Amino acid sequence: MIILAKCALALTSTVVVAGVYTFREGVIKVDVDEHRDGGSHVHFWVPAAAVPMAMHFVPKRHFRDMPAEASECLPLLRIVTSELRRYPDTTFVDVLDGRDHVRVATVGSKIQIDVVNDEENVHVAVPLSTVNDVANQLAADAPGV
Amino acid sequence: MSQLSHRPISQHLARRASVALAAALLFAPVALYAQSVSITSDSSKTSDRWLHVRVVSTESKNETVRVNVPLDMAEKVLPAINKDRLHNGKVRFNDTDMNGVDLKTLLDAVRTAKDGEFVTVQSNDSDVRVAKQNGYMLVHVTEKHLGSGKDAKSTEKSRVDVKIPMKVVDALFSAGKDELDLVAALRALSAHGDTELVSVKSEDNTVRIWLDSKNISD
Repeated sequence: MIILAKCALALTSTVVVAGVYTFREGVIKVDVDEHRDGGSHVHFWVPAAAVPMAMHFVPKRHFRDMPAEASECLPLLRIVTSELRRYPDTTFVDVLDGRDHVRVATVGSKIQIDVVNDEENVHVAVPLSTVNDVANQLAADAPGV
Repeated sequence: MSQLSHRPISQHLARRASVALAAALLFAPVALYAQSVSITSDSSKTSDRWLHVRVVSTESKNETVRVNVPLDMAEKVLPAINKDRLHNGKVRFNDTDMNGVDLKTLLDAVRTAKDGEFVTVQSNDSDVRVAKQNGYMLVHVTEKHLGSGKDAKSTEKSRVDVKIPMKVVDALFSAGKDELDLVAALRALSAHGDTELVSVKSEDNTVRIWLDSKNISD
């Protein structure tokens, strides 16, 4: 009985530690709701730590074909994401135009982008550290960046 | 007999204590993370300087634009943007942009001059005033509606107020002859106290650009 309890404790500990490790950087949340008939509804949560890990398995040649515009934005993205972590929760951009509403804000350690209008609602929340990691990885793998 | 009855109780207590300790150790990172998040997300007033832009348009659908930018971040981001005329936080311009006016010489003259009004234009449809006062460069432009009838008074159509610290103007022109140093200007601005830089009020638009220590606009 005691051995069984010890095994259960070990298993639970492993699951909890694995869970804490996977979710240590939070989750990426994407919610898309199209209001038209037959419109798509996409809702998913992905552990943020999984993205940089998954990028290691993408063949390097795909990064070399990155558009020049994207390459130009990478240094900017790296600076912005590392800097934004220093500030408290803030709405950086807020545009309200009739029934259209666009908001770019930091909430906790995430950057949150909300677009709400008559046609669709889009809510994306990505941990800043993940964006920073991805930008760093892309810059390291793409020559000339 | 008493020893035998005490032993399971102590074993039971030790087991409970070890499970509680294991649970506490396991959830400690989560608890610490939650604490750190609540600490960082609570403050609305920081020691950083923030530039705020607010545009309210009453023209069609009550459009409102609010932008809040920490000056520190802008200082670091600007040199990373190299596009068209913006390079390393500096914007290049040439004589044709300024219609032959030597802006640098003009501003040197303003900087060395004593406080006073440099330009005052008063006409039926607009008033313009450019002045230097208490370390600030001031520009006021008022556009007027012409009143109808013989004794009718003209009413205010739009009003533009610009108040820039002279130190910021100096920093802006501290680079080469045909360059504006935006990063130096931001640095000079961040050393400045709370101030309203630009205010535009017209019948259908209100624009306000100001500087303070809060990360939220009013």
